Amino acid sequence: MKVFKVGLTAIITIALIYALNRGWNFGTPIPPLGKFLDPFHGFWQNAEQEKVNDLELKIPGLKEEVTVIYDSLLIPHIFANNDEDLYLAQGYITAQHRLWQMEFQTMAAAGRVSEILGSAALDYDRGQRRLGMMYGAQNNLKDIESDPVLNSVSSSYTAGVNAYIKSLSYEDYPLEYKLLDYAPEPWSNLKAGLVQMNFSQTLNSGEKDLQFTNALKAFGKETLDLLYPDREEVGDPIVTNTGKWNFKPVTLDSVPLAVPDEYITITPPEGKPRGIGSNNWVVGGKKTATGSPIVCNDPHLSLGVPSLWFVVHLNSPAVNTMGGSLAGAPAVILGFNDSIAWGCTNAQRDLVDWYRIQFKDSKKNEYLSDGKWIPARKVIEQINVKGGATFYDTVTYTHHGPVRFDESYHGDNERNLFAYRWLSHDGAKPVKAFYLLNRARNHREYMEALNYHMGPAQNFVFGSVSGDIAIRIQGKYPARRQGEGKFVLDGTKTSTEWKKFIPFDQNVMIKNPESGYLFSANQYPVDATYPYYVQSGDFFEAYRNRRIKQLLDPAKEIIPQDMMALHNDNFNLQAYESLPLMLSLLDSATMANLSSAEKYAFEDLRKWDYVNSIETPGAIYYEEWWNELYTAVWDEMKNAKVAMTFPSEFTTIKLMRERPDHSFFDIQQTPAVETLSQLTIDAFKKSVVKIEAWKSKNPQKSFDWANYKDTYVQHLLRMEPLSFHARNGGNSGIVNASSHRWGPSWRMIVSLEKTGVKAWGVYPGGQSGNPGSRFYGNMMEAWEQSKPYRLKFVKRDQLKKSTLATTTLKPANS
Amino acid sequence: MKFLVQTLAILLISFALQYFLPWWTMAIAAFAVSYIFDEPPFPSFLSGFLAVGLLWLGMAFYIDFTTDSILTPKINQLLPLNVFFMTTVIGGLIGGLASLTASFLRLRR
Repeated sequence: MKVFKVGLTAIITIALIYALNRGWNFGTPIPPLGKFLDPFHGFWQNAEQEKVNDLELKIPGLKEEVTVIYDSLLIPHIFANNDEDLYLAQGYITAQHRLWQMEFQTMAAAGRVSEILGSAALDYDRGQRRLGMMYGAQNNLKDIESDPVLNSVSSSYTAGVNAYIKSLSYEDYPLEYKLLDYAPEPWSNLKAGLVQMNFSQTLNSGEKDLQFTNALKAFGKETLDLLYPDREEVGDPIVTNTGKWNFKPVTLDSVPLAVPDEYITITPPEGKPRGIGSNNWVVGGKKTATGSPIVCNDPHLSLGVPSLWFVVHLNSPAVNTMGGSLAGAPAVILGFNDSIAWGCTNAQRDLVDWYRIQFKDSKKNEYLSDGKWIPARKVIEQINVKGGATFYDTVTYTHHGPVRFDESYHGDNERNLFAYRWLSHDGAKPVKAFYLLNRARNHREYMEALNYHMGPAQNFVFGSVSGDIAIRIQGKYPARRQGEGKFVLDGTKTSTEWKKFIPFDQNVMIKNPESGYLFSANQYPVDATYPYYVQSGDFFEAYRNRRIKQLLDPAKEIIPQDMMALHNDNFNLQAYESLPLMLSLLDSATMANLSSAEKYAFEDLRKWDYVNSIETPGAIYYEEWWNELYTAVWDEMKNAKVAMTFPSEFTTIKLMRERPDHSFFDIQQTPAVETLSQLTIDAFKKSVVKIEAWKSKNPQKSFDWANYKDTYVQHLLRMEPLSFHARNGGNSGIVNASSHRWGPSWRMIVSLEKTGVKAWGVYPGGQSGNPGSRFYGNMMEAWEQSKPYRLKFVKRDQLKKSTLATTTLKPANS
Repeated sequence: MKFLVQTLAILLISFALQYFLPWWTMAIAAFAVSYIFDEPPFPSFLSGFLAVGLLWLGMAFYIDFTTDSILTPKINQLLPLNVFFMTTVIGGLIGGLASLTASFLRLRR
């Protein structure tokens, strides 16, 4: 009896200890509760006290002492005596605050999320492998290793991150490791390549080749050009240099299109949401109060916490630069130094092509190329799955690139197998351009630095203390023949491949224009006399850029606060150009029979000033009405059995105004023939119903645009308690491009004054990636209100009064 | 009286062990102390439960207080039950079961 009691309780105790010492997954992951709740080592240890202590740390690999001074925002000002120490320190310090984020984002890029989250992530991981993310990262690694400067910088950074990781025991792990029950793995230069791929995937994988091909087949060329014009003839391009493109462009022989006979039934991967993009501009000395240029940048990305950006000040005898860095990569990416400032917006262009491959048989070992069968390469991707069996995915590679979708993964029929050629598969010497920009002192050095930037292609705006302003659209672009790249291509002919690239000195650029200012908001890049074919991969921006021009053009005596106000401009140009038409389409019969909610909505819309401000309900009614109408108009696209895409908002509104009788304004599925007027009325009624439903579900929230839009800055693991809701105005297509999940991820203003460069910056979140830190979300309010902080870009001894704490990094054997 | 001493002993030894060692070493402390004190099963269980439970709760409160509750509400929302409750019960349960095992081991019959 006693043996039984002892045995049973002993077994239960040990079994319980075991169960509480490991994580479980019942649909949702459960942390190892014993480890996790233990106040001595578990999550309780991640809670930080208010006082930030001075630290003295011994770091292996460091040659000399490095001083890191934190200011009140926990921005590290890193002072080193040589460059290797500088980047090692940057790696160490960034890891100290953002280790989990850096690692998780590179795991996601590499398609290794299943190792952490189990089989639920398997489909995603397979997608990432088949996209060629590791393939591109390996090529980036080769580039890093073959460039002595890049190799040194990258290896130093990696050594810094690893020095931090080695110093950790369980209680020091960031919270998310404890929640998900895993440990950090060593960092490597390959991971720097993955950071590059991650950014490329976000910024330059956008294209609609499959959808355009299906549309071409369904509607014919004339309608296709009507719905998806290559340029919307409105607004100014980024660079106007009409007739002055004095170079001899590379030429290629023309090649006929090879559109397949059947529709392509692959479901294309989800693209970027509509209306995302970025703004940047530079105003020259003639327009500013100080007489010096001001450079501004707000890149629009998915709003997440911890932020992609980690602000840092790097100082060594060879460089003094500050700005937003990317957690996981060395150097400052968007920032400034004592002589210049620069910023980026995404240079929209189609950098992907799908090549239809003819394989010899279903084994896919050989494929046709210029009449000969050549061997395909099989890559076996090993995907480790937490709590499950390792998955082996065989991916077929052609010389174009990987076959992303096949019979084992979201494939089409056997006759439609496409290889994916993406510019970012090529090595891109990651970070080299930014490393050089950090040290550039003038326009010439800015131009030299950009020659190393292969991708993702960006519109680099520039200003210098000496008074120059410039913009250059820089990336490696395939030279395109007219119309090429918009549709799928014939992979059996090598003549369809990217034979030549636009020489960098023939990319779009301009310096010191007459206008005295430059801006880019993802609009069409260049005037019509530019000899190369430009295609966006979807459509170019039509609203933010015109509003920015409207405000910048007449402006004089500009001060930085004016720029902060422009970042927060909530004027809805799309509404201004469409709402009067929409209101006029509500016929008298409808108007006579409005419900009380509809009457209220109508009145509100009539009085609305087209500004998506925080308080206005007018924006709510407009945005919902437009969403309903836009979807209803393009029901043919939405309900098509094959992938199709909607035309842009601008094109839609243009068609509504110029071609109201077009057959697209009929809803195919109903027997009646609808008109635009009917669609508009129905959309109005539907939207009011939807808004009323929101009101009754949210009685405690005031009925204003900020609450309705609910800008949500979401933690990477999508856990609400670790995320933030923000109250601000704007929306996509508006200068303040804060929508529900996307928005200005960094706002930077740099005044290049001769008495000393002054800069302001803010982003949603905070410098610390620890939810248990005061610095996790301390910048949220300033970001919401577009009141960026003054960045303390000063000499070391001038930081004394702003010092929150100092960390001294010492060599390990000192 | 003996009960209090036993409880205090478990608490203090667990505190010392847990400073450097993994969470479940408090079970060893509870087992060892309870083995020595040789109390009947239920008081033993209670002693271990209270000792570790209060130790964990005390530490948790201390951290919560000195950090101005910066992390507590966030984790509270992530967990199905109150975070202090769970911390106390999980720690206490293991402490109590370890003590119970020791008591059964000493039981004559």
